[in-house]
Amino acid sequence: MTAFLRILVFAVVATGVPTGDAAAQSALDRVRQTGVMRVGIDATYPPFGMAEGGEFSGFDVDIARAIARELKVRAELVNASFDGVFPALQNGSFDVVISAVTITPERQQTLLFSEPYIDAGQGIAVRQDSTITGVDGLSGRTVGVQINTTAQFAMEQRAGVTIQKYNTIDLALLDLRNGRIDAVASDAPVLRYMTTLTFQDLKSVGSDYTDEQFGIVLAKGSDDLRRAVNAALWRVQDSGEYARLYARWFGEAATASAGAGGAAPSAIDLGVIARTWPIFIRGVGLTALMAVTSLVLGLPLGLALALARVQPQKAVSVPAAAYVEFMRGTPLLVQILFIYFVLPVAGVNLPAIFSGILALTMNAAAYICEIIRAGILSIDAGQMEAARSLRMTYWQAMRRIILPQTFRRVVPPLTNEGIALLKDSSLVSVIGLTELARTGQELASRYAAPLTIWPFVALLYLLLTVPLTRMAQYLEDRWRPVTRS
Amino acid sequence: MIEVTDVVKRYGATTVLNRASFRIAEAQLTTILGPSGCGKSTMLRCLNRLERFDDGAITIGDVQVAGGAAGAGSRADEDDLVQRVREKVGIVFQAFNLFPHLTALGNVIEAPMTVKHMPRAQAEEVGRHYLSRVGLAGKESHYPAQLSGGQQQRVSIARALAMEPAVVLFDEPTSALDPRLVRDVAKLLRALDDLKKTLVVVSHDLDFARAISDQVIYFEGGRAVEAGTAAQVFEQPSHAETKAFLDSFNEGANPVGAR
Repeated sequence: MTAFLRILVFAVVATGVPTGDAAAQSALDRVRQTGVMRVGIDATYPPFGMAEGGEFSGFDVDIARAIARELKVRAELVNASFDGVFPALQNGSFDVVISAVTITPERQQTLLFSEPYIDAGQGIAVRQDSTITGVDGLSGRTVGVQINTTAQFAMEQRAGVTIQKYNTIDLALLDLRNGRIDAVASDAPVLRYMTTLTFQDLKSVGSDYTDEQFGIVLAKGSDDLRRAVNAALWRVQDSGEYARLYARWFGEAATASAGAGGAAPSAIDLGVIARTWPIFIRGVGLTALMAVTSLVLGLPLGLALALARVQPQKAVSVPAAAYVEFMRGTPLLVQILFIYFVLPVAGVNLPAIFSGILALTMNAAAYICEIIRAGILSIDAGQMEAARSLRMTYWQAMRRIILPQTFRRVVPPLTNEGIALLKDSSLVSVIGLTELARTGQELASRYAAPLTIWPFVALLYLLLTVPLTRMAQYLEDRWRPVTRS
Repeated sequence: MIEVTDVVKRYGATTVLNRASFRIAEAQLTTILGPSGCGKSTMLRCLNRLERFDDGAITIGDVQVAGGAAGAGSRADEDDLVQRVREKVGIVFQAFNLFPHLTALGNVIEAPMTVKHMPRAQAEEVGRHYLSRVGLAGKESHYPAQLSGGQQQRVSIARALAMEPAVVLFDEPTSALDPRLVRDVAKLLRALDDLKKTLVVVSHDLDFARAISDQVIYFEGGRAVEAGTAAQVFEQPSHAETKAFLDSFNEGANPVGAR
């Protein structure tokens, strides 16, 4: 899944996302004028970036706020998966990405970097009982990395290492704890933080085996904003604020007190739920909003498509069939990425939530079309003949005779589609929407409590489907005496 | 009332109607009788334009229908023709084709309301009238699934009558029913006499045809072989095919040695 996602993002970006230099206005002017600096961050990466609902914390977060303050604007943080932050930066959704991004020559070819703001080599984490003592002991072992990170690139250079890629670093650490992999390679400060605070059965070993520096990332063409960011960064360093922030997140005191979950996590910790439920409610709300809106909009669209497909005029039925073919034959994930990242090329720049709803609606409409079409075709041809023999027109017969019978038949498969839509809506996290699944991901990494968070997420999804199935049951009961024939 | 002249209907290489010609008199009950596969049901469907035909002509009152390949006329012309034909000709299907999501009354009033834009109250009045004509007073709010086969057929007849066509076609009205109900159907059809409708019944059931018909057309091989009053056709058939068909029935009804 993750490798697939990476290829998709790459493919979508390669299809022609514009870089910032196309913009008529300079990046700095835009930030100054709107008074907002939009910062992309993958907030599943303690201690650099963490999120609980809309509340961000971490070293990168503090740096972002300090720089924004120096620029006399407000920092607007947007949580996105690490895979998604760069395409979003390039299409203009963010002004900068501050997300523990290592400066590499490869990345410099397509992106701009500020001056380095922290040195962070890579380290290795293993289980407490492991005999691995450093990076040289990894030959012949399986090593977990977060996808598309410099840790992955470094491991790819090493002979004899089998790489296992994860969406977020906490999933890699969990798999290590569960014994499925032998080590995790990542930025050393992150591993030190996480092994001290939340994964106490793991340990960081060896010295940092790479010298890396993190930079603030900008889109090509944002040179004036880059100069302003660098200047702001120097001021933050000179004023002593940088040292305070560093001590807060990486000093001895940090690991002693700033704990995310505080005490050592137990397998199932209902206290986490008690602390985080308002954040879950927000995730549930977004998931429900997306799914319900897409279903409500997808139903009439699907119906129109189905009617277009069953009526005899080729000029109408062929495009409708082609639409369905296309939407069913391409992954929903690609459709979401396309609408959000590629449509802006054509001047259509939709906010993430509208992009998500649009993609879900258009995708669901294709499936709903086929459900309704199958329903229409299942109605005995004699019904249309009888209606026509009574002088109804084709459309009168469709509306008064065929469709009322069709709707009774398609309630169960439409319920299926509604539930599928509810769960498919989790894919919109790729464009930075913190719906229910992404909320779970954030909190699971923040608290390292997957055994608590994921069953709870599953339960919330289940609860969300209940109103849908109840409504379907109500309709079926109401219509039952008539459906027999 | 109806004049059929040299009507030809082909399905690919198969010729179903082979220059069929006959007349049907107004306000009479005419049975088109014949063995299965003789083309009589297709003939009936041509009469209300559920089927097109390839050649020949059908005249129904003042409406002329000419044979021709599908798509010969414009779409609007065809729609217009269909409307004019069906204004005159209603049909009761072999399987009734009732609308299962509507009550008996709903089935009957649907077309008057949607097609004739009759107000509901008036349509219901018409609907109740025809339902009681076919003996279903009191069953107005039943759904088709709650009615017996015979009752469903009656709803179907009331539904056709409610559009007040001059001609009503019946496709094999006895085939879907219990044999004991055949007599009831016969009585019902004759009870419609005072409506002065032209009724055209397609059947392969000789006894039924004998019981109800004013006029009989014997159909075989895609054409009308013989036509006349019931007495003429049944008592003095003039064609060998008709005679053979009638004889095959009589043998079946009276096994050798029974008399």
